[in-house]
Amino acid sequence: MAEPPKIAEEIGRMAAEPLLPIEKKLIAWSLGLGLVLLVLLAALARLT
Amino acid sequence: MERKTGRINEDWLALWIGLGVFALALALLAGGDLLGWAVTTRVWTDPAKALAPVSAAYSGLGGFGALLATYAILTVVLAGGASALGADAKRFALAFTVVFWLAYACWIVGSWASFAANTPADMQKFGITWSLRLTSEGGFIVALLGGLVVGNFLPGFANWLREAIRPELYVKIAIVILGGFLGVTAAEKLALATRVMYLGLASIVVAYLIFWSITYYVARVWFGFSREWAAPLASGISICGVSAAIATGGAIRARPVVAIMVSSLVVIFAVVELLVLPFAAQAFLTHQPLVAGAWMALSVKTDGAAVASGAITESLILANASAEGINYAKGWILGTAATVKVFIDIFIGIWAFVLAWIWTRHIEVREGGAAKPREIWERFPKFIIGYVVTFAVVLALALGADSATLGKVKAAMGEANTLRGIFFVLTFFTIGVMSNFRKLWEEGIGKLAAVYVVCLFGFIIWAGLLISWLFFGGVLPPPAAG
Repeated sequence: MAEPPKIAEEIGRMAAEPLLPIEKKLIAWSLGLGLVLLVLLAALARLT
Repeated sequence: MERKTGRINEDWLALWIGLGVFALALALLAGGDLLGWAVTTRVWTDPAKALAPVSAAYSGLGGFGALLATYAILTVVLAGGASALGADAKRFALAFTVVFWLAYACWIVGSWASFAANTPADMQKFGITWSLRLTSEGGFIVALLGGLVVGNFLPGFANWLREAIRPELYVKIAIVILGGFLGVTAAEKLALATRVMYLGLASIVVAYLIFWSITYYVARVWFGFSREWAAPLASGISICGVSAAIATGGAIRARPVVAIMVSSLVVIFAVVELLVLPFAAQAFLTHQPLVAGAWMALSVKTDGAAVASGAITESLILANASAEGINYAKGWILGTAATVKVFIDIFIGIWAFVLAWIWTRHIEVREGGAAKPREIWERFPKFIIGYVVTFAVVLALALGADSATLGKVKAAMGEANTLRGIFFVLTFFTIGVMSNFRKLWEEGIGKLAAVYVVCLFGFIIWAGLLISWLFFGGVLPPPAAG
């Protein structure tokens, strides 16, 4: 039976991948929405 | 640890076993006591008095008899379940026998008064002058340490036990049972329970979006991980450990090895958090108990470690508060941790779908089109249905019930809760056995661990505390009755 791959070997084989525009969008939208909701929902929680 | 696939998956098995325990407990309402044989462990100085059956109706069994009955019944039920999961029932039963007795021995040791007694009155009662003050939940910590010893110093033995090393199964059963217990708690203070649910939902939506995006950015840009590694890593570190890493790995079609490696790392760090954060909460959040509960769920990854840390935190904070003359009702800190964790689990499926949709439409355009909404259901953790059912049934039974019926519902859930404690101790022990620090270090965990350390200790723990504070700050559990 083949030896299971080691983490270091797997990571060593990883190809360099620059950040795509869609990933930048995903990060920005996720973070932005999270921060906006944080303010809104926390304010709502305080009001109710 | 690769396992065969069976006729049922772990989520459905946990749901059915949990509902089975719940149904047996409810027989008490019709005058039948079908769970009274379950063993309970008390804080002790005389070991002969440590164990007892949970119901006086079974007092003839004695403490050790109740322990034997509990072991025998759990072994039969779980071995049947393991067989349905595709495991070898005989091997499971053998391994489970060892796991059960070792885990229970740890619990008994942890309940020794010099470890567990936590107030001056308790110490006086037991005739001792000093205690570690770990509370009656200290047995969980001892079980975790016992498991760590087996996992790290006896790897051959740990490997022999592997069929019964199923912390996620044990904790999912415990969570289904916990639903009923929390239903009673909620029925007594419905407005507060509704508020806790709203706050839990709000806090996890926020935490998901903020934690995931920052962790993904750090993994991709600072550490140069590929998308295949960064997405499961971000979900594993920021959201809910093992389940999220596996769901995300599936959503973006990462190789299975990626999710497995990320999951191993998640478990290791969850153990560290479990040993540290409840004590930090005790030191700094005694006056904000529900902040502490939510913080455990947002910071400690994996269902097992998070709900378990909620249980320890509750015990430690209630002991501290009691020493100051404040007696909070039991169940609210653990309930907050469980509620937040359940919402996190529900959202794993939704978030995995969002990622699958983005990946299939924009990153690795898939043949046959984009991800379908039914993938949300496919990734939905089914044991949550059991939690919702037990919670809703008990809430319906308890709301508006006369005091005699309410007393019976409480007694029934008390009996079920005894088994929940036993599944917790199995969870703690088996998490420890799974956590082989040395093996992961030898495999070159360094770079993955570095992302974890930077994200978890750099911002997730602190942002989790801030979010918990913003939503749960000033919301206090009700005082204990009587």
